Amino acid sequence: MSSRDTILATLRANRPDPAAHELPPVAVLGDMDAGKARFEDALQLLGGQILLPQEGDTLATAIARRFPDAKIICSAVPDFEGTIRLEDVTSPQQAAATDVLVVRSPFGISEMGSIFLSEAQLNSLNSAAHLTQHIVVILSEKNLTANMHTAYVERPEFHTANYGVLMTGPSATADIQGVLIRGAQGVRSLSVWWE
Amino acid sequence: MKVKPVNHAKAAEEFLDDAPHLTFHDERLWDMRQKRDQQMHLLPEWQELRSRASAIKEHTLANLPEYLEQFEANAKKNGIHVHWAADGAEHNRIVGEILEKHGAKSLIKSKSMVTEECDMRAYLEPRGVTVTETDLGERIQQLDDQMPSHIVVPAVHKLVPDVAKIFAKNYNTDPNDDSPQSLAESQRMAARPVILTADAGMTGGNFLVAETGTFVVCTNEGNADLSATVPNLHIATLGIERIVPRMADMGVFIRLLSRSALGSPITQYTTHFRGPQKGGEMHIVLVDNGRSARLGMEEFWTSLKCIRCGACMNTCPVYRRSGGLSYGAVYSGPIGAIIDPTFNERKYSTLPFASTMNGSCTNVCPVKINIHEQLYKWRRVLAEHHELPFVKREIMHMAGKLMGQPTLYRTAINGTEVALSTLPRFVLYNWLNPWGKHRELPHPVKQTFHSWYKKNRLKDKKESQGGKA
Repeated sequence: MSSRDTILATLRANRPDPAAHELPPVAVLGDMDAGKARFEDALQLLGGQILLPQEGDTLATAIARRFPDAKIICSAVPDFEGTIRLEDVTSPQQAAATDVLVVRSPFGISEMGSIFLSEAQLNSLNSAAHLTQHIVVILSEKNLTANMHTAYVERPEFHTANYGVLMTGPSATADIQGVLIRGAQGVRSLSVWWE
Repeated sequence: MKVKPVNHAKAAEEFLDDAPHLTFHDERLWDMRQKRDQQMHLLPEWQELRSRASAIKEHTLANLPEYLEQFEANAKKNGIHVHWAADGAEHNRIVGEILEKHGAKSLIKSKSMVTEECDMRAYLEPRGVTVTETDLGERIQQLDDQMPSHIVVPAVHKLVPDVAKIFAKNYNTDPNDDSPQSLAESQRMAARPVILTADAGMTGGNFLVAETGTFVVCTNEGNADLSATVPNLHIATLGIERIVPRMADMGVFIRLLSRSALGSPITQYTTHFRGPQKGGEMHIVLVDNGRSARLGMEEFWTSLKCIRCGACMNTCPVYRRSGGLSYGAVYSGPIGAIIDPTFNERKYSTLPFASTMNGSCTNVCPVKINIHEQLYKWRRVLAEHHELPFVKREIMHMAGKLMGQPTLYRTAINGTEVALSTLPRFVLYNWLNPWGKHRELPHPVKQTFHSWYKKNRLKDKKESQGGKA
């Protein structure tokens, strides 16, 4: 008998009575506020930032002001130029040189301040979202969902994407004497630009 | 050769001797517990979330074979190779074969308690595979050749100078670097080139979703996503119990996990892997390693609900003051003490005694495992299986006799007054009295409650009854 069959047979022999353990219906609990203010508060709590436009700003001028030393600004969206397009980046090794990656997220979660990215937004080079030093995420207020329950119930991406990441602020660690450090091994900063 | 039980008390003694480490450890974990409480108080639905999480997990465990089959079918449909490992040795062999087939010599991995369980690095490295832990805490532990001391924060028992020394030895950094920021940066700079040239990546996982064939990985540093997406070969290892039925169930668990673990609302990364990336290959190893047997243990099967948040460790007064390494096991703290004996009853027979029975672990558990009750039940099982050390067994035996006979008990208690106040220290404090090692015995009382009651109330009662009659 294969290990698979042995494991399944042992589980069948040992399990508690299934009839005594009903599956509860899907839970949709908690605060249903899908607002921008809630999203921004949650994002900032986890170290994320809002890229705020100043008078007459475009995304390009806001990025130039926020990242004055950036040499390679990679765009994964059609409406922003950057210095290189993500379609022209062919390997993780090439993506590792990126200073700023600009992407568009299909939805955000107000409860957490999370944004979602999948291969559809990353031109199938998923590592680009983690090798870049900084990431700027374009997000629309109308694509906010209230909380984790509504996100999993409503968003089709969880059933279709091969790679789907919820990013909530930049990478972080507190592994050295409990000191919180934003910018661990993935992006050093994550900024949201409202469209 | 007979396995020797872990001497938790002795290891804890050494930990207690080091005041700076002990104080930091105790305070850091208590701070995590308090941050968890703050998050809990923000959610009026917290207890309902716990009840739901518990019910979903119990249902899933009772239907585990069906959900695993459903997961396997969906994962295969999405192009994931699914493997089953009965134990650690089989797991390691499977991973080794996948790597060999690809000629992979360099493996980068994120934190995975299951690979610790299987002692995978020790298997792969003699076979020519360089395994690099990419999680900062786990990397510190790997370089220091220690097991993780906590399931969420593996190097929580170390201070900045400890890390500076380890990095200086391995990364040629300044041995006197006293900045956690610059030490973390050293790890980033050291890890990047290894990540960019690795042949294969490995992650653990927090959840399997039967409905979609997805596995979900919750992390903070970004190293798991790098390990999974930079190389074209991704191997994930998960225990068979980590499954939930529906994608919509994830809402309950994600809302509980990081709040319980670190007191943050969510981990910085919550990643859903449903299939290989373009041009890539994805494998998942489903590991049993004693879990299917544990499902049959009537009093202990609910320990399989565990989502590995570590809240029970952070709150435990014994864990905070003894350190994870003192448990001598992959899983430490209260959850470790109830699952370790299922791996080796004799070796871990001392661990269920590393508790004050305060029940705090049970109160903070997001999936409502009755941890402290299971600790108690393990003590009984271990006593029945004769796994108690001689002194503890004999003392319990004598205490049992004494307490079973009220007259004998009262005589003995009256005697302790005399004994405690007159006997020399060496008679009271010796190897027969481990309790007295770090504690003073109580002051002898002038009068026991029983003798006071007999003298006063019982007399009054008799008199008043007599008056009425």
